[in-house]
Amino acid sequence: MEKVLEVNNLTKVFRGKDKQNFTAVSNIDFCLYEGECLGIIGESGSGKSTTVNMISRLIEPTEGNIILDGEDITHIKGKQLRNIYKKMQMVFQSPIESFDPRCTLGDGITESLKNDGFSKKDANVIAEKVLRQCGLDESFIKRYPHEVSGGQCQRAAIARALAIGPSILICDEATSSLDVTIQKEIIELLNDLRKNHGKKLSILFICHDLALVQDFCDRVIVMHEGVIVEQGSPDEIVKCPKNDYTKKLIESVL
Amino acid sequence: MSTPTIRKQKVKRTTVKTRLIIFGTLAVLLLIGSIFSSHLTPYDPYLQDLSNAKAAPSMEHLLGTDRYGRDMLSRVIIGSRTSIYSTLLLVAIITAFGTAIGVICGWFGKWIDVILMRISDMFLAFPGLVFALAVAGVLGGGLQNAIIALAAISWPKYARIARSQTLAQKETVYLRAAKLSGSSTVKIIFKHILPNIIGPILVTAMLDIGTMMMELAGLSFLGLGAKPPTAEWGSMMSDTRSLITIVPWITLAPGIAIFISVMIFNLLGDTIRDYADPKNREVRG
Repeated sequence: MEKVLEVNNLTKVFRGKDKQNFTAVSNIDFCLYEGECLGIIGESGSGKSTTVNMISRLIEPTEGNIILDGEDITHIKGKQLRNIYKKMQMVFQSPIESFDPRCTLGDGITESLKNDGFSKKDANVIAEKVLRQCGLDESFIKRYPHEVSGGQCQRAAIARALAIGPSILICDEATSSLDVTIQKEIIELLNDLRKNHGKKLSILFICHDLALVQDFCDRVIVMHEGVIVEQGSPDEIVKCPKNDYTKKLIESVL
Repeated sequence: MSTPTIRKQKVKRTTVKTRLIIFGTLAVLLLIGSIFSSHLTPYDPYLQDLSNAKAAPSMEHLLGTDRYGRDMLSRVIIGSRTSIYSTLLLVAIITAFGTAIGVICGWFGKWIDVILMRISDMFLAFPGLVFALAVAGVLGGGLQNAIIALAAISWPKYARIARSQTLAQKETVYLRAAKLSGSSTVKIIFKHILPNIIGPILVTAMLDIGTMMMELAGLSFLGLGAKPPTAEWGSMMSDTRSLITIVPWITLAPGIAIFISVMIFNLLGDTIRDYADPKNREVRG
């Protein structure tokens, strides 16, 4: 299997007031293979979100490098940076807040396509297609984010992420703000998309719920206080955890 | 959702729309009136008739005449052009300039922010009207220089509002999503930031129309704005204020004109804010 994403020695230090530095993520390495679903779990504040925000270049890493499809993207800027978002997309935790309240869902979904040079008409056709893939009908193109439910909005957010045809989908707590039944629907949707997506879709799935990750992911990374404490297949980790923190995490869920 | 809530929301939406139509129409009427003001005056507003000075309101002169016997109604009508247009121009200049500076500061931050904000602090450090007086005094009298002077003291307010709003927008999730959609800085600013911050700025601008009208009048009164005999509401009021106990209508007529136009623009500003909020818009589809 081919590596689509490789993270080496990634570190983020936040400079606080009084010159007190806080290390959110320290020296982590991992890679994501083609078509794989990698789960990152850990409690709040363990550095999961910081890690993925660095990967998507929304925050600048302090040290280390990120390699996407063999290209070092750690320090690229401007147009080059905008181009990597054709390969890598993100779904956020709060679906409604992730859409501009003044734009329709359709505007949000077609934005990346229009930036890539598609005409408005073509972009709309693609938007309708991805919306249908995500289980919504095309009437949602004209709706505003406050007019749809959280679950529908998260489906639209997934549609937005998939519209440009990325090979990596980063889900940052994408199911955490939804209720349990909708969570399951979204997981099923992601599973379907993995199987039926044209290109091979790799998913980086950030979650604090081990039970959710267990069935869905091929491999799991456990993070605690900014470092990777354990990694392996979900079954391995659940059945015979090596690390104390992982044990605690499992006890708290099961 | 229960039925009463739905009904209540519907009533609210229609009220906003009705208000927008009413105040919008009034504002447009006011503007059209001031464009064609020279055709609407019953008498020549600059024609003096000392034998008929300080006449009380009558059928002939609906608002009476001033101390030179000029028809007050005609002067109020013709004065709308100077007062309304110079005020609108002034507010448009400071809104556009202040917002542009504020967005640049908020978005780019770092040294650009520091430099531009310290410059705006310098303008804020002086008492407003005194500084405007100094600027207008240096540039010399005239309406155009009065506008420049007032613009110089008023833009920092807009820059501050725009800056803080932009900073708040920068933290939103949808802006991150827009970045991930590969939108350029210019596109993000025009498509996502400006539409989301323009509400409070527009309301401030609308509410400022009244203040600016008064400040322009103040400068005119001191001889640094509209020059007599040009009819301008503020200077007309100032000119005749010594006569208020003897012939109150001379002062009241331009005063009421200012009151009504300021009122219309304030209410219009409020309504535009309500209407621009998509939560008040009708559900589509």
